Formats: sequence, structure tokens, C-alpha cells
Amino acid sequence: MASRPTVTVHGADGAASNDTHPLPNVFKAPIRPDIVQSVHTGMAKNKRQPYAVSEKAGHQTSAESWGTGRAVARIPRVSGGGTHRAGQAAFGNQCRSGRMFAPTKVWRKWHQKINLGQKRFATASAIAASSSAALLLARGHHVSTIPEVPLVVSSSAFGGAIKKTSAAVALLNAVGAGPELEKVKNSRKLRAGKGKLRGRRHQQRRGPLVIYEPEKDGKELVRAFRNIPGVETSPVYALNLLQLAPGGHLGRFIIWTSAAFAALDTVYGSTTEPSELKKDFLLPSNVVAQPDIAKLINSSEVQSVLRPVKGGAITKRSHVQKKNPLHNKQVLLRLNPYAKAYSKEGLGHVKANEKPIAKEAAFEATLHEN
Amino acid sequence: MSTQYENISNDLLWEITRSNSSFLVKRKQAGGVQFSRDPMNLVNKHSRKYEGYVNEQAIGIQPDSNTIALTTKLPKRANKPAKSTQTSSFNASTPSRKLYKSIVNSTAKKGYRPDLRAEAVARASAIRQSQRENKKDYDKKLRGSKARKAELKEASS
Repeated sequence: MASRPTVTVHGADGAASNDTHPLPNVFKAPIRPDIVQSVHTGMAKNKRQPYAVSEKAGHQTSAESWGTGRAVARIPRVSGGGTHRAGQAAFGNQCRSGRMFAPTKVWRKWHQKINLGQKRFATASAIAASSSAALLLARGHHVSTIPEVPLVVSSSAFGGAIKKTSAAVALLNAVGAGPELEKVKNSRKLRAGKGKLRGRRHQQRRGPLVIYEPEKDGKELVRAFRNIPGVETSPVYALNLLQLAPGGHLGRFIIWTSAAFAALDTVYGSTTEPSELKKDFLLPSNVVAQPDIAKLINSSEVQSVLRPVKGGAITKRSHVQKKNPLHNKQVLLRLNPYAKAYSKEGLGHVKANEKPIAKEAAFEATLHEN
Repeated sequence: MSTQYENISNDLLWEITRSNSSFLVKRKQAGGVQFSRDPMNLVNKHSRKYEGYVNEQAIGIQPDSNTIALTTKLPKRANKPAKSTQTSSFNASTPSRKLYKSIVNSTAKKGYRPDLRAEAVARASAIRQSQRENKKDYDKKLRGSKARKAELKEASS
């Protein structure tokens, strides 16, 4: 690419400043929803805590089968007498107070190992996808009021200036994220199901993700932003796919500080220069240079080698209404070219002027002979 | 897409979002219909042709209180969401035929999505119809025995 596209750096008031920054190479990474989804499903499993039913559950009785001949099923039965429990079936998964089928164990495989290359690919892909306004809209972010995608806000607006949540909200409103915050606020709903009892009482949408450079922007902004519903913060050196593509869906609304945006090239390098911070990492390259299919089809290279259309303008039409040749002259002519001359000469109206030939008397006589 | 590398195309966007997007409304009725909530979609149908966000050029026609707003996408400002559309609104007093004509003149006639000409006019027409005031209901004149009863009631009170 001859000239790298640039992104405008926006000031604290949301107005475009004169500063621009060339778009980092990560934004050139291939966008692969399949990789992002599979890595996301794996990563989402890595925060789980083991659970299981008690090892003893359903087995705290000395039940024995009665064997055959007692006209009852051979399931183990609680021994003894004097209580209703005696003689009841036990242990089996079909029994009341029995153990469950295949009791859950704490040594279930809770976590997934994901290859580092795939994780890095997915992260780069998710970052690249965040630069498409259409994908943000399709993910459900209310971004029709933001000045630019990717949205880069000058670090001077952050660096130490944002210590209070009120300042953080003012900044988000200034850069046009107001409708997005409003959407998150209105989306808070009671969770369906048992999760309510397990510390996951409410559900709400995700808002913007603020990505900062911890050295230059400082860390005070984390505290300033953390109580705004839906807003998350992340240092540019520790980006997480669970935040970049929540639910495995591409296109998270990201607000970059200019320092973090500038750091992206050192974090991810390019397709030819390895990253400075990640060992042995080159950005993945696109398999196709031209993803626009219409452009590919209409390109002179493709069009020049295509054979011309057979038949040209006269192509056979399928599924057309059948025309009645007795009513439709053109269809009649197609079937019977003589019809033209026939009607022109008026042959249909000409009386046959030849008299029928008189039959011989012998023929008549033979015919009527009894 | 000025600040875009050559890794995103509208075809790719469509492939990413065709099975799942915030605009998509999937229902199991009627053989699994798929509708769209995209304001730039003229027929509210989830398809590559009609979805506004996967096309560089798209037309949106929406009712706006008593007027009709025509929105078009500006392809050169695709990465500047706040400025990426142009809106013009038509007064309620604009005659319908004039409305359709100006919609067509500002879009299809200029070579801007000529394939959506009929859809744009149809949507504008449907919105017009929905904005039309209903005819007033007239008081029914009572006849026969009901009329006599009503008269008696009137006289007694």
C-alpha cells in the first residue's frame, strides 16, 4: 500500500485536532470470525470453578438387594424395620434419595488450553474488526454519533486529567458515546434463572472499552471509569479477547487513548517485522488481497478471459407462460412459417371449385347391391 | 472506506453478520422469516441487497413526526459515523407524487442505488398512507322503533 491511511486524534471536547496518527498494522489483520469464536469459547471456560455433588450423596445407607423370589424389583433396599424408610429402594438414580446418574466430579476438565498463535490471531482479528463502523452497528453499539472509527482521543485528555467519574462521563459524552451509555443504563435487567442466586443478579449490555497506555496515561482513569455502567478499561499491553469480542461477536466499540494507539505497532509489529513485546510473533497476512467479490468479478483480468455469452441477446427463457398459437400470430409463425402466405393468399376462404368426380355406375351398383 | 486497509469488504461484512447481528430479527413462524431492524433497509428484510449497513450506498426512508425523512449514506465517510449520512425531510403538505418524484430524482435518477427505486417509492407511499388522518365517524341517525324510543326519552327528560 502506497500511503497508510491515517486516523484523526480527537481532543477532550470531542473536536478533531490537527494531529493524526497512521493506522497501526494490526488493523490490517485478517478478520476471521471462525477463529475468534473458537478461541472465545475456549477462553470463556478458563474462569470456571469446579463444582460437584457430594461423594457420599445417595450412598449413606446400608441397603442390600432382597434378591429374587420376593415379588419386588432386585434394586437394593434399605434394611431394618420400624421406620418408613425400611424396605424402600436405595442407591439407584431412579430412586427417591438415591444418587444422581453419573455424579459430577471436581476433576472434570474445566479449562481449555488454547494455542498461543491462535489466541494472538484472534486478538489481532478482533482489533481489526473494531475499525469497521458497520460491524460496531451490527454488534449493537449505538455509535452513529461518534466522530470516527477507530476513535482515538488525545492522551492529554486522559493523562492525569481524569481522576473523577464525573470527568470521565463528560469525556465520553463529548466524544459522542452518550447514546451508548444511555443504552447500557436502560438495558439492565434481572437475569432469568438460578444465576440470580449465584452472584449474577443482573444482565446488561457492554458499552465502550477504553484502552490506555499505563505508563503515559496513568492508572487513575481506571478508577474514574470503573463505576460507569458498561464501560471497561484495559491496558494496551494486556488486551483480552473476552473484552475485544464479547460473546465471540466481532466489533466492540473501543476508545483508544492516543498513547495506546501509538503503542499498537510496538505490541503487534507488522506482517514482516516481528513484534517487540511478543516473542516470535508476526501479524497474520490476508489470504486474499482483494476481499471485494464484485470488484474481483468485474476486474479486467477476469473479464478479459471470459468467453462471450452464448446466444447473446436471444437467450432461451425458462418458465414462461405458454402462448396459444391460434391466438398469437407470432407464435403461430414460429411453428408454421407457411401460415403467413396462407393467410395472405386468403387460402382459408377459397372455395374448392372442382366438382366432385361422378362415380361410375358400376361402382354405385356394386356398393348398393344386396 | 478511507481509513480502512484492504481487509474488509462489504461481502465479508455480510458473511460475518448474516447469521447473527443486532439488526436481525429471526422468527420460527412462516418457515423461519428473517427481518431487519436496520433504519437504512427499505423493505425490512434481512438480505444482502436491502441491508443498509453492508452496502456502501443505501437509502433509508423513515416517518418523522408528521414528515418523511430521506437518509442516504455517503460512501466516502463510511468511517465517520456522525457524518456518514445525509438527511432531507419532506413536509406533510408535499403532494405524494411530488414526494416520490423527488425521492427518485435524488437517488435512482442520479445512479444512486437505481435498483431500489420501486422499493423507495413503495416505502414512502406506505408511510404517507399511515400518516393520513382517518375519516371522522359520523353520528348514526337512529331509525324506526329506536328513533321513536329515543324521541320519547328526550321528551320525558
